[in-house]
Amino acid sequence: MLVEGRPAVVELRIPSRPEFVSVARLAILGVASRAKFTYDQVEDVRLAVGEACTTAVERAVKANKTDTNITIRSELSDNKLTIEVRDEVGYPPKTPKAVESPEELDEQGLGALLMELLVDEFKTEPTPEGGTLVRMVKYTG
Amino acid sequence: MGTRRKGGVSEWIEEDAESLFSKYARTKDPRVRNRLVMMHQNLVRFLAGKFMNRGEPIEDLVQVGTIGLINAIDRFDPGRGTKFSTYATPTIVGEIRRHFRDKAWSLKVPRRLQELNLAANKAVDSLSQKLGRVPTVQEIAQAVYASEEETLEAIELGNAYDTVSLDSKLAYEGEAAPLSLAEFIGDTDGSLENLEKYGDLNQAMDCLDQRERSIIYLRFFKDMSQTEVAKRLNISQMHVSRLQQKALKRLKELLSD
Repeated sequence: MLVEGRPAVVELRIPSRPEFVSVARLAILGVASRAKFTYDQVEDVRLAVGEACTTAVERAVKANKTDTNITIRSELSDNKLTIEVRDEVGYPPKTPKAVESPEELDEQGLGALLMELLVDEFKTEPTPEGGTLVRMVKYTG
Repeated sequence: MGTRRKGGVSEWIEEDAESLFSKYARTKDPRVRNRLVMMHQNLVRFLAGKFMNRGEPIEDLVQVGTIGLINAIDRFDPGRGTKFSTYATPTIVGEIRRHFRDKAWSLKVPRRLQELNLAANKAVDSLSQKLGRVPTVQEIAQAVYASEEETLEAIELGNAYDTVSLDSKLAYEGEAAPLSLAEFIGDTDGSLENLEKYGDLNQAMDCLDQRERSIIYLRFFKDMSQTEVAKRLNISQMHVSRLQQKALKRLKELLSD
């Protein structure tokens, strides 16, 4: 969806607290609904963004940095939705912790895997400011 | 000796998954496979739970997810060094998502949200009347027994997706005559609209002269014929006809303004 010939950009900043993850989920629902996505695709995007925010909040809680923020930037262009979830907490280890028992499911590791399955492009990288950037792209159609 | 895990149903759950996988790879013993399936139910539940708000019963999702789990167990090669949960997640999630696709849900907003959207709109109306002001999101959510996020979501989706067919059936399976969405949509209240027009008409009538007003009143409010009106006003029927035409034309002009 182009607004006056340019991609539509919606940016949201939330506190790194669990109760604000649903705010991001709700916002992204609104954004994704404006693209030519099917309902399932909208839900995929929402689930992926929810996971990205949840892992960011978990990292913030672990690092005792719940006073930081998470920025969710979505860009809606002609044929794709690009979402960047940026936090101010450290970059997570590349390989998720080994899990042997299903009772000890490492939500973080599986969360990243789940995100990868739900979107068309997925990338995690450290930011120059020492935080983490999750970049996801979902194509319409 | 492994530590007893929470919900440890029986002895075999204590068995090491790794040795079970190599045993299954060797023997293809269905009993070993069953143990592995039971052992990883939590993985399936965890993943199915992520898709919970798409309106499908969690048990259905667990069931299709378990099909994915079984496929993953059958194909898993323990010698490869991959963790099983990492290996199985794409297969399980794939089955769950296929389930949604197969139900053709991609094409429409789930019934639960459609219903919630209708219920929320209704609640807005009735609450506005009851409270004498626009209700808060919390009040609407309480009225429709949903969370605030869900309620907003339903309203939001209702605005974004206007392609839901009016003929889409809303009743649950098994009900004799399913209601369609169209049946929930209110009509324009005819008598209310008439009342409004009546008021306008009254004003317009004031713009007519005494005789024109009488003709309109007798013809249309007293249901008298042109001849009867002519007699009453002591003029010819032709004259009544002419005056009536002129008066109606004038009223039309006034009302269309």
